[in-house]
Amino acid sequence: MIQIDNLRKRYGKMEALKGLSLEIGKGQVFGFVGPNGAGKSTTMLILATLLEPTSGKAYVGGFDVVKQPREVRRLIGYMPDFFGVYDNVTAEEYLDFYASNYDISPQERKEIIPQLLELVSLSHKRDAFVDSLSRGMKQRLGLARSLVHNPDVLILDEPASGLDPRARIELREILKELRNMGKTIIISSHILPELAEMCDVIGIIEGGELVATGSVDEIYAKMQGYKVLKVRMLDQWEEATALLTRHDKVASVKKDGNVLLADFTGTDQEQAALLQQLAAAGLPMASFAEGEGNLEEIFLEIVKGAGS
Amino acid sequence: MNVIRKLRNPVLINEWKVRMRSNRAAWVTTLYLLVLGGIVLTFIFLRINFENRYDPDISREIFMFLSILQFGMICLFTPGLTAGVISGERERQTLSVLLTTNLTATKLILGKWLASLSFMIYLVMASLPLYGIVFLYGGISPIQLVQVFGLYLVTMLGLGSVGVLFSTLMKRTGVSIVLTYAFLFAYTAGTFFLYVVAQEMIDYQRRMANLHAMQPNPVWPEWLLSLNPLAVGLHVFEEGVFNRFHDLKAAGNLPFWMIDPYWLYILFFVLLTIGSLELSIYLIKPVRKRLWKR
Ligand SMILES: Nc1ncnc2c1ncn2[C@@H]1O[C@H](COP(=O)(O)OP(=O)(O)O)[C@@H](O)[C@H]1O
Ligand SMILES: [Mg+2]
Repeated sequence: MIQIDNLRKRYGKMEALKGLSLEIGKGQVFGFVGPNGAGKSTTMLILATLLEPTSGKAYVGGFDVVKQPREVRRLIGYMPDFFGVYDNVTAEEYLDFYASNYDISPQERKEIIPQLLELVSLSHKRDAFVDSLSRGMKQRLGLARSLVHNPDVLILDEPASGLDPRARIELREILKELRNMGKTIIISSHILPELAEMCDVIGIIEGGELVATGSVDEIYAKMQGYKVLKVRMLDQWEEATALLTRHDKVASVKKDGNVLLADFTGTDQEQAALLQQLAAAGLPMASFAEGEGNLEEIFLEIVKGAGS
Repeated sequence: MNVIRKLRNPVLINEWKVRMRSNRAAWVTTLYLLVLGGIVLTFIFLRINFENRYDPDISREIFMFLSILQFGMICLFTPGLTAGVISGERERQTLSVLLTTNLTATKLILGKWLASLSFMIYLVMASLPLYGIVFLYGGISPIQLVQVFGLYLVTMLGLGSVGVLFSTLMKRTGVSIVLTYAFLFAYTAGTFFLYVVAQEMIDYQRRMANLHAMQPNPVWPEWLLSLNPLAVGLHVFEEGVFNRFHDLKAAGNLPFWMIDPYWLYILFFVLLTIGSLELSIYLIKPVRKRLWKR
């Protein structure tokens, strides 16, 4: 339903997305997790046809977000991280206005709006002015708004942020209902446990790159087993990089000065074997050490919600 | 059905709905007409007392006074009414959501533009009966009445579209409003100033070249002045600066290239309106077709 290929976005010199690729199947609930500034909102803006990528492609329902924005807009309901409401407008009129923007007939609107208010438990606030609603209620109304044209895909940017625990639970219940309705949902958060329960797939984004994807369990397992091996070389960095990259348990290798940094997920035995391999190849190693992985820091941040 | 759907503008309908709910519009209208009517009656009273007779000239004077007053009001309020319509949505953080709906950029811009001007258009139209009173006294032609209202409408729509353009370009409403007023001022003062400079230079050149006085002056400085709202306003009452035009017209031998300044003004403002709106529509699209390759 959603396909992103090597997406890049530069703001001036700042590269917010560095070649992001991912795929979300029909009916899937995809949790997009990463610390603040990771590039979640940027990705979602591009999917919502509100921002042009610097390069790369993104498709929703097979439509190119840059070349066929009108077709994409019909398919998506987008809820930004921050949005305002009009004053002087009641909850019902608010939804009515957006429904009319989708060319929905007045008769049809009269039918769907009560249903939507019911779905987000705001039936009793039908005639209340929107700027008088609490933050949690506004958020739910915003969600109802993104549903007026019954879209197949929902793009929800940090819908739970700034909500108190009760409001969060209410929101989660609504999202479960939408999931049962078969909607494809991409939802972001900077806290993993917030999404863990309701997502089929989690994608971890950091510094504009997708660093891990998988089910919630896979993600937890992957991130806990991570280590970084630091190999200081005098020479022959390319050969050492090639050797390291060939190893199954090495995810990626980076060069930092004369030190090679390898993300390693293997056991201690495998680590020992790898060291022997490097030595046996006659590469000029000056030292071999293990350090905390970058992923580990990200993991701590998103699991504990540090820095939020 | 399809045509109706194409023309139906949800933004416009919604703004009307919200605005009509409060009594404010009714109060403002009443107050406006009372003030305007009061001024007219005072004017009539004073003039008649002073002159001790009815005179079509008085009627003409009142008509001009009223027209200039309303024209001033239009110029004063149009930038404030229109220069915040898009930037206001942006500041309120409602624009991005609006742009992800099926609403086209064209409908959004046209809806906002018309909605912001509709109350003022209504106010001006509501003042027509006042003109009717003046009209009864004579001294002005129905054509002049129509021309004055045409001038109002075209100026409101044109200046309003410039406000919308600045509102689309600028992030902040405050900046946009200041720029729209600055545009109005620079435009009005600029066309007049350039006209004066051009005339002076032409005169100077002629004196230097000892050209015969019978040879007519070039017409382009007058075209330039035709774009000036104040000059054209006076022109409707056959006052002011376009003497050559009036003389030639009265003599019945108007050359074809001496276009009536009124129509030149209308034409220019229609083009200005279309241009500003088209540009706004292009600029508001978050993802747009490239006019050139980077
Ligand atoms: N309009 C912008 N101009 C410049 N930099 C931006 C802009 N929007 C976002 N950024 C930068 O891009 C990076 C990614 O931002 P964002 O996508 O909002 O992250 P997230 O939603 O994951 O917190 C951040 O470093 C942010 O500072
Ligand atoms: Mg964000």
